[in-house]
Amino acid sequence: MMKKILNDPASYVDEMLDGLTAVHPELYALPYPRVVSRASGAVNGKVGLVSGGGSGHLPIFAGYVGKGLLDAAAIGDVFASPSAEEMADCMRVAHGGAGVVRIYGNYGGDVMNFDMAGETVEFEDDIESTTVLLTDDVVSAKPEEASKRRGTGGMVYAFKIAGASAERMADLETVTRIGQKTADNCRSIGMALTPCTVPQAGKPTFELGADEMEMGMGLHGEPGIWRDKLKPADAITDEMMDRLLDDIPLASGDVCSILINSLGATPHEELYIMYRRARARLQDQGVRIAMPLVGRFATSMEMTGATVTICQLDDELESLLLSPCHCAFWTVMQ
Amino acid sequence: MIFNANDIQQAMARLSSAANEAKDELNEQDGKLGDGDLGITLANGWAEAMRQQLPEDDLGKAFLMISKSFQRACSSSFGTLVATGMMAAAKSTKGRAEANYAEISELLAAARDAMMARGKGELGQKSVLDVLDAVVSATAGLSNPGEMAAAAKQATGQTLDEFRDKLAGLGRARMYGESSKGLDDPGMLAFQRMLDGLLG
Repeated sequence: MMKKILNDPASYVDEMLDGLTAVHPELYALPYPRVVSRASGAVNGKVGLVSGGGSGHLPIFAGYVGKGLLDAAAIGDVFASPSAEEMADCMRVAHGGAGVVRIYGNYGGDVMNFDMAGETVEFEDDIESTTVLLTDDVVSAKPEEASKRRGTGGMVYAFKIAGASAERMADLETVTRIGQKTADNCRSIGMALTPCTVPQAGKPTFELGADEMEMGMGLHGEPGIWRDKLKPADAITDEMMDRLLDDIPLASGDVCSILINSLGATPHEELYIMYRRARARLQDQGVRIAMPLVGRFATSMEMTGATVTICQLDDELESLLLSPCHCAFWTVMQ
Repeated sequence: MIFNANDIQQAMARLSSAANEAKDELNEQDGKLGDGDLGITLANGWAEAMRQQLPEDDLGKAFLMISKSFQRACSSSFGTLVATGMMAAAKSTKGRAEANYAEISELLAAARDAMMARGKGELGQKSVLDVLDAVVSATAGLSNPGEMAAAAKQATGQTLDEFRDKLAGLGRARMYGESSKGLDDPGMLAFQRMLDGLLG
């Protein structure tokens, strides 16, 4: 049976948003039922940065609305796209007169609806907008079809780095370029130990034996590369690092950030065990790590498992990554 | 022959009742190859569109209102495709209170092209795009409503027959491979049911 703290599966998302915005009225506002914006609204003259997608991934998407990050996010049902109207409202809310960048993960429904929303606000409101799609999940398509890959932990870096660029009042073209460069420089891979349950479906997204793990699984339980007996942390981390570094070879002297992310139920303790191994691997190659991130950044509710994301940095991206931001889930001080 | 917003308003009532009648059938057909929400998507979309009072002075605004109704009522891909087609029609008719029947083939062609771009679909993949394309060709050069209706119906039926035993090549249905053979594409079937409802 489904074991969750909820009242009614149909009100899961709305009650979650109600609570989120009630805890942090100084940070978040809810101008429409499924649109979260900064409490202070759009910033005049600043490029608006919006994202959106299904619920169930907090802090992604709504959590990352804040100074130095997103201006607004459109929220769908759990693991389902928001409507094009909700996305269009989200873009209107974020528009400060300098255009809007839509920055989100590559999932079919989200792409169609966000493109539709962009066309609508251009036709109706003369809002200029661009798209940056995250395609960082290396397991989801081969390198020669990299543009078909799904977006996952790379979104965190893209929100942060493009958000910092927008906060410095860069123009639409620049924020788009920075966002796209970040997207191009991110690679991710996931692994799962236990599934999660979508409230309105009432049953787990997949089944996995009590002693099994799945390497390469996607955020919504999309099939991975192999499923077998659970391996030790170092072996798991090594395989994930191998697959990432195969896809984005890093040389001695290169700089990257790395995100060891819990899918929801995996505790920080286990993430730290993974991080020490990942760090050793990068150090062995002479790669410098800038601002490592460990914690819950992109989750699938109560799924057990982790994702690892590498974001290669040049001076421009590193400076933007290190610049200040503030939301309920992530603060970088000056 | 010309048509205006009032004609569209009446057409929407017929489309909405056709969508309601076909709802269960389309849900079931879609459930064989997808998530089974096609009937409800169309019923909700047309019901929302029918609630709008279309402006009489600008067909572009009228089509935009229909597009936005689908954007509001449906978050599934088929709803967004309908919204995309309506937006293409809005752009082609912006600022005009009426249009000629002879333009319908071109409006449908603009909708087809916009839908192909949005859904990243191609012709020949057994989707609603194929019937739309067939109707564009069949109605090109015609301006008599009766002749256009007969040509559109004939082209739609023929395209369904032609594709029935082919493999689905687009969307979730593609994942079903061989088992999609012998099944009508739910989007094509929806187009036929809507067309029959529209033309009586």
